[in-house]
Order: sequence, then structure tokens, then C-alpha cells
Amino acid sequence: MRLNRVSLGNASHHGRISRAGVADSSVPAAPVTGALRHVGFFYRTMDEYARTVAAFLRAGIAVGEPAFAAVPPGKLGVIMDALGSDARHIGFADMTLLGRNPAWIIPRVREFTGRHAGRRVRYLDEPIWASRNAAELREATRHEALINLAFAAADAEILCPYDAAELDPAILADARRTHPALLTEGRLGVSPGYAVPFRIPSSCSLPLSPPPRGAMFHPYRSNLSEVRALVLEHARAAGLPEARANDLVLAVSEVAANTLRHTQSDGTLTIWHDRAEIVCEVRDKGIITDPLAGRRRPPQDANGGHGLWLVHQVCDLVELRSDTSGTTVRMHMAIRPRILPA
Amino acid sequence: MDLLTASVATVESDGEPYTLVKLVGEADVTNCASLRDVLEAEVAKLPRTLVIDLSGLRFMDSSALHVILRANRSMDREGGVLSLAGPREPVAKMLRLTAADQLIPVYASVSEATAG
Repeated sequence: MRLNRVSLGNASHHGRISRAGVADSSVPAAPVTGALRHVGFFYRTMDEYARTVAAFLRAGIAVGEPAFAAVPPGKLGVIMDALGSDARHIGFADMTLLGRNPAWIIPRVREFTGRHAGRRVRYLDEPIWASRNAAELREATRHEALINLAFAAADAEILCPYDAAELDPAILADARRTHPALLTEGRLGVSPGYAVPFRIPSSCSLPLSPPPRGAMFHPYRSNLSEVRALVLEHARAAGLPEARANDLVLAVSEVAANTLRHTQSDGTLTIWHDRAEIVCEVRDKGIITDPLAGRRRPPQDANGGHGLWLVHQVCDLVELRSDTSGTTVRMHMAIRPRILPA
Repeated sequence: MDLLTASVATVESDGEPYTLVKLVGEADVTNCASLRDVLEAEVAKLPRTLVIDLSGLRFMDSSALHVILRANRSMDREGGVLSLAGPREPVAKMLRLTAADQLIPVYASVSEATAG
């Protein structure tokens, strides 16, 4: 960096790379269940859905508990019809927007619980539906598992509907693993599949498919400006609107900056796109062990933690795999943000 | 060519003089230590007002933001005010997403930052 001093004396400044080290976040302790009740609800008909969800929300209204429902748009009308005039007590959100990237959901629910601190709250959480693609379903399942960790100490009642008639049996099997309790055929019971201590289903951590042949491959060490220029060039060529191209540049740069901060070796950037999306993948030797990394809004004045937060905030989907051999962060951006059929 | 250039000026205005730091280029983890040195040197002079002109900044990452947040804390402690001026949209968006814009006043231009 060059320093121009207009009205003051000269001083020499040399660019420095921050000290290398290893990411030091550790896996938080297992959640203690108690105040949080996180229930998977397997339904087979829309009538069953409407009755059960309305009863869940009304039980909260009856005792003055704040309630929030984030569901696909097709379900909004069903719930409002079932609730009638009671619907005005509920906050609603379209899950195809709020949870397009499932990593956006936990921070939003935290905002909700934070606004009503000291009170028991109710939340209807429906991030999983049959037409979502495999990567989205993996990340939505991860989100479901992380609810147990993120809200372990919250005084909250969370109900998560699953369409048992439409969803793949493997998705339902994972729902049994991510929910301590299940509501099936009108009966509420303990989920035998739920593992204590906290665990993310193994299906969420399957190795990522290899990048397609012809993907651009670029090793980097400290020239992040070049990394950013490559991302911008490819994002424009793929047809990503300028603002979203800049979002992707920020995300990739933040992940690549972690390579410089936390490792002693090169990282690699791989970029590819098709008509639907552009994908940037960054690999390095760093290790990320905190399963909630990027899903907590850092305090405004924090000295760290903004990097992965920004990555998740600007991308449509982020897949992260990390073990002792290193970390891969795969960032997806839809060329045209689609309206997900639901 | 340097990735980041910082120009520092003490500007006389109708009211009190203020310190203006103009950044041009890209601010990231590779040059944030230098940026920190520049800002710390200016903060140490205890100006009442320090304006960072971001209009020439094409890119800013969270490392550079942390340096600015740190300077803001120091200014706060000394009873001074740090403000940001003229961020381009990608930088402005980053300030919004981190909520740094709720902690540090952000103005459309230097003249707005120093008005009144």
C-alpha cells in the first residue's frame, strides 16, 4: 500500500500479511434439552397439516406466546384459512425467500426470540419440501440439526412439518435424526433416531461431487486482487447481474482471506457455471470446526466472525466441508434468483 | 501498482479543522495492517473529526472493516467522531450486512460528512 501524506510528514508503511495460525473455534458442548421443544411433524394430507399447524399456533395465542411461521408460499394461505381471525397474532414469512439459503434461518429466528427475550415463543419452521434440489435439502437438513444447538437454551416450541407422502424416505429418516420429538399420525413421541450428544446427520457431510470438467482452476497465495478479478470476470460472463457478481466477489475474497490468515500454504479457486448458476469453490488447508460458523450475527463491534457471516449472507447456498485435511467452501449463486415451486 | 493508497489531509473548514483520510483501490487482509498504522497515527493526534473517504475504494473486506471499527473505538474513547463518506454500493452493502453502518455514521459524500 502506498501512503500519500498531504499535510503531514512522511512515514514508511509496508504491507503485511496477518500472522498465520489455525482456526481456533471449537465444537460447543452438547445441548441440554429442556426449555427447547423441537418437534418433527410428519403429515400425509393438507387437512391434517392445516388442523395440526393451526392447533400448534393457537395453543401459543391462548397463552399470549409470540408466534412466527416461516413456510413455503403455498402453505401461507392454508394456515391463514385455518386460523381465521387468529392469524393476525402470528408473524408470517415466505420460506422460499427467508430460507433460500437455509443458513439465513437461524439468525432470523434469533432476531425473533431476541425481540421477545424472557418469554416462551413458538416458531413454525418449514424449510424442507419435495421440489428442493439435493444440495438445498442437505443444507436444510443441516439447519434442522443446528436448531438443536443454536436454540439449546431457548425457551421455545418449534414445529417442523414434513410431507411424509411426498418426501424421499431418506429425508424423512434424517428428520427423525434431527428432531428430539416426532408428531406422527396425531401422536407425539420421542424420536428414537435422535442422537445425544448433538450430531449432524452423515448425509449432510457426504463428499461434494467433483467440479465438472472444464471448470477454471486457479491456485493463489496472497494475490487476492487477482482472485477477485477472476470471479468478477466469470460472474459477468455467466450473466450474473452486477450487484450479485459483486456479492460473489466479496464471498470468495472473504474465504480466500481465511487461507492467508489461517494457513501457510496455497489455496485453490475453482469456478464453473451452467445456465442455472455459477459456483465458486475455495479449498485450503484451514480447519473450521464450529458447526454454527457464519450463522451467528457478529456483534457490530466484533473483531472477527464477519467473514463467514458475509459469505452466507450474500450467497444463495453455501456448502462447507472441513476435516483434518482441510476445508472446502462451495458458494452457489443462481444466475436469476428463481422462485422455488413449493 | 499499489492495491491501496491512503492520502491524509488536515482540512480547514468553516468550523473546526478535520482530518480526512482518502482511500483508493482495494482494502483487504493483505494491506489492512498498513491501513491500521495510518489510522492509528491519525487517531493518536486526537482530532475531533476524522472522515474516511471511501469513494475511491473498489473493494473492502472484513479485515479492513475491523481496522476501521478499531479506529472508531479509539475515536469514541477520546471523544472524537469517526465517519465514513461516499462508499460505492458493494462497500455500502458490506457495511449494512455487518451492521457497521449502525455504529459508524455513513454519509454520501465528504461534504455531507462535515456539514454542520
